[in-house]
Amino acid sequence: MNTDPMVVRDVFASHYFLLAFLASLGTMQVAVTISGARGLWLTPYRAMTRWLGIALIVTGFLIFFAQPLWIEGPWAAGSVEADSVSREWGQADWADLAGARNVNDIHGGLDGTRQAIWFPLAAVLAFATSALAGALNLWVFKRAEGPAVQPGQDDSDADGLAGLAGRSYFSNLPVSWRKFRSEVADVWRTGLASADRWSVFKVILGRSPE
Amino acid sequence: MNSLDADLVIWLNGLSGNVVIFDDLMRLVASDYLMPLTFSLGMLALWLSGRNPVERAKYQLATLVGISALALSNGAVWLINITWDRPRPFVDHGDQLNLLFYPPTDPSFPANPVAIGFASAAAAWSVNRKFGWWLFAAATVYGFSRLYAGVFYPTDIIGGAIVGVAVFGFTTYLRRFLEPLVTTFIRLIRGLSAA
Repeated sequence: MNTDPMVVRDVFASHYFLLAFLASLGTMQVAVTISGARGLWLTPYRAMTRWLGIALIVTGFLIFFAQPLWIEGPWAAGSVEADSVSREWGQADWADLAGARNVNDIHGGLDGTRQAIWFPLAAVLAFATSALAGALNLWVFKRAEGPAVQPGQDDSDADGLAGLAGRSYFSNLPVSWRKFRSEVADVWRTGLASADRWSVFKVILGRSPE
Repeated sequence: MNSLDADLVIWLNGLSGNVVIFDDLMRLVASDYLMPLTFSLGMLALWLSGRNPVERAKYQLATLVGISALALSNGAVWLINITWDRPRPFVDHGDQLNLLFYPPTDPSFPANPVAIGFASAAAAWSVNRKFGWWLFAAATVYGFSRLYAGVFYPTDIIGGAIVGVAVFGFTTYLRRFLEPLVTTFIRLIRGLSAA
């Protein structure tokens, strides 16, 4: 490799973050149209949101793998061999594109640990984006398709993702947090009572199963 | 056993160079970014896609176990690696292989990428068979691409799959010892309106 691995790593990290953000946002949109958490939808309509999600995932991957065509990196045309040692800095051509991203982590590619750091950050940003867009949607488009609350659920009682079926993230957060605070002790007690007798906490706290 | 293993990877890798588009497709699938991100996205989708409180709780528990299994798979692979430093196929049979992927420097057995793929697929399969099969298929294609590229033996792929599923089973069991912490953690995330 004729380039500093740290420079290569920075290039990969920024490109990977964009990929992870777009793909997470897209996946999130598809998933929340299944669960009905309207407060996280990017558009007011279920089908449109789902198709937008799919488009975002595809776009994320397309951009990431096609970027070497217009962005300079360790994939200069003609230097992309399977062994990433011989890489030169520059733009790739179509013939090299499939292997352009295959750079060993010792030469600046992202290893599993770095991906495990960047992916959650991108997913959190995608969630924040969905929450903001969902709040705007609910505010601007009062008449979204279908019932605002899932069947069998009381709007005032629902919290977490269930509460997002009819509320924005920002109006749902205080409800969810209040409910968490009022229930957490019970959740812990019930969980401890029904936990395996070898549960670390049961052993430490010396509680019997009943 | 080893010679059959080597013969298989040499034969399969020998098919490369005939259809350029297929080779390119295998290079893309073998990438460090396409499939690993797909498995992570699978876990994210599982977390958010429960249709009712019961299904949601089940999916989210499986997601947490899956993510933990994914991390623990790396540890299990590392433990095996320090016990048995199996050389990669291109080290032993470099003159007979057309390497399509960069030559990794870690030991060959078991295939780490396949282990993480099978760990996350097993997590999804435990609560949603259809989705789980899709992830198993993705993990298998990922393993095949690395085999085709000449960086793993077939037994490395099989070993990786076994490690991934076994670690998922172990993590499922381990969760019982950490209750009620896991359930309370999910409840906390629900308090933050994200579960």
